[in-house]
Amino acid sequence: MKVNKLKTRDLFFVALYGVKARRGRAAMTSIGIGIGIAAIVAVTGISSSGKADLLATLESFGTNLIKASPQAGFFGSQESLPVGVVGMVERIGPVEEVTSTSRANLLVRRTNFISEYEGGGISTVVTSNELLEVIGGNLSEGRFIEGDLSDVPVTVLGAVSAERLGIKSIYPPAKILIDDQWFGVIGILEELTIHPDLDRSVFIGYGVAKTLFDIDSEPTTLYLRANPDYVEDVVDVLAPSMNPENPDQVEVSRPSDALEAQQAAEAAFTNLLLGLGSVALLVGGVAIANVMVMSVLERRMEIGVRRSLGATRKEIRSQFLLESIILSGIGGIVGVLLGVGITFGYTNYTNIVFSIPFWQIFGAVVLALVIGAISGMYPAIKASKIQPAEAVRT
Amino acid sequence: MSSNINSVISLKNISKTYDGPPPVKALDDISIDINEGEFVSIVGQSGSGKSTLLNMIGLLDNASEGIIEIEGKNISDFSDDELSKFRGEKIGFIFQSFFLLPGLTAQENVAEGLLYQGVKREERLKKAKEALEQVGLGHRLTHLPKELSGGEQQRVAIARALVEDPAFVLADEPTGNLDKESGLKILNILKELNDIGKTVIMITHNQEHAKMFKKKIELVDGKIAKYEG
Ligand SMILES: Nc1ncnc2c1ncn2[C@@H]1O[C@H](COP(=O)(O)OP(=O)(O)OP(=O)(O)O)[C@@H](O)[C@H]1O
Ligand SMILES: [Mg+2]
Repeated sequence: MKVNKLKTRDLFFVALYGVKARRGRAAMTSIGIGIGIAAIVAVTGISSSGKADLLATLESFGTNLIKASPQAGFFGSQESLPVGVVGMVERIGPVEEVTSTSRANLLVRRTNFISEYEGGGISTVVTSNELLEVIGGNLSEGRFIEGDLSDVPVTVLGAVSAERLGIKSIYPPAKILIDDQWFGVIGILEELTIHPDLDRSVFIGYGVAKTLFDIDSEPTTLYLRANPDYVEDVVDVLAPSMNPENPDQVEVSRPSDALEAQQAAEAAFTNLLLGLGSVALLVGGVAIANVMVMSVLERRMEIGVRRSLGATRKEIRSQFLLESIILSGIGGIVGVLLGVGITFGYTNYTNIVFSIPFWQIFGAVVLALVIGAISGMYPAIKASKIQPAEAVRT
Repeated sequence: MSSNINSVISLKNISKTYDGPPPVKALDDISIDINEGEFVSIVGQSGSGKSTLLNMIGLLDNASEGIIEIEGKNISDFSDDELSKFRGEKIGFIFQSFFLLPGLTAQENVAEGLLYQGVKREERLKKAKEALEQVGLGHRLTHLPKELSGGEQQRVAIARALVEDPAFVLADEPTGNLDKESGLKILNILKELNDIGKTVIMITHNQEHAKMFKKKIELVDGKIAKYEG
């Protein structure tokens, strides 16, 4: 004799009946799962958005950028690199582009009404037009120190400097004071992200630096692009070729490394939040198990009637198991929507790329369903073990 | 009484003891033969074992001792799953408290009677409508149980029992919660079912009702006190 004739589609409706008949309770029961899933989706969503944003940033700046500067001296004084260093570095095979900057110790102010002491925090960087191309920076307005502009008192502002100086646009034309000399602002950079020091700088040309401040073109920092396949090799040989006697006096770094490290630090925090989400899920699962056990006790009559109408133990078990999975699944879906919403809100607010991989959403829903199945197992077995004669006794 | 070879339901020396503490011997050495198409009443004091006996016949419970044969098959050879399907296909139950599912309409409640036989939903609802018309409730298809009178609810329950076209209809005090008029109506429906060939076994406290049955089993303390017909 063929048993278990209940069709899958009908089983689904039977299980749904149990949920629909107790809507309020169902809603309360799914809350725990909803919160847990929302937390997990939001946390992983924000984290993967952060990663996507990092990737986008790295992509735009490139990971083959290398920065070299003198090791900070004993008292933090910045010494300059040896003369002719750019030429030396250019001779390293895989180096594609090199440019240098000189950091000048000059006070930058908006007006002379601001005292010398308030104007700090913004450095002056003497550089040439190639810098922008080598570091992969973009102008949000105006232009960089092209050609003859190197010889006249004009300046380009880093994104943070522009903000601090209160200059949002080059229109109307603005001027700033660098060491008591007026400079016209001809351009503003977009945020460089991987070069926070440059974001806090203003840029002037070598010509004007020499004529107004008597600064020689001794570089303090080198920026170079290497063939992406040989970045590590270039990093290794850079210090010895720049300063053969004292290679340890040259600090070589890849700005993209710093970003990745920062991302790793954030991952620890992400794990903490994931842990909290898991606790919510556990509590949600226990709540479902509880409510289902209660439901089984209350619905002895229904179980008895179904058995008398021909339901096998397995069909009763499947009904309650599926009911539990549906409860948890509702929580899961609401949680996913909530989590995606939170992620969207966060990425929108912080202005980063929105990215939640499909597998994370899929995984969250599967997780909810698995929790429902586990929570429902005991109540479902309990329901299936109720003797039909006992169940129809009043 | 001797065991009848043609009987469709045959109980041989059935006893049922509920494990205590203290253990209760609800049925004590009961032997009954019921033939196809009989209209049987079970009467007796409260606690005499009527429900226990009916549940046993309906395969909802198993005996502590003795043999039950239905349509010539010893039911102890059946697996639990096979018993379930046998109940679903052959036996229609009617309970004193109706036992309708509160969230389903009359028609949906009746349709549940075919759910565990793998009948498609449209077919179930169609047959449910016919069964409700048969008990005079063709105009109450979309009502919920709470919107129906007790007598109407019991008629829905009868429709649920007969929608599967069972060979046996077992009713445990189906009129116990109803007024006299509704009770008579239920009884007449059961009589009609018997007239079209179904074997009907019904527990009743009502002496008036009991008179209508050809066969009467009276229980006292789990033993057969009187066996008529
Ligand atoms: N699950 C059980 N555990 C222990 N004793 C039980 C159980 N079910 C029934 N009994 C006992 O078995 C005896 C017979 O019960 P049963 O329900 O068959 O009586 P009944 O004749 O149907 O009574 P009523 O007319 O009140 O429905 C009673 O003494 C009852 O207390
Ligand atoms: Mg009883």
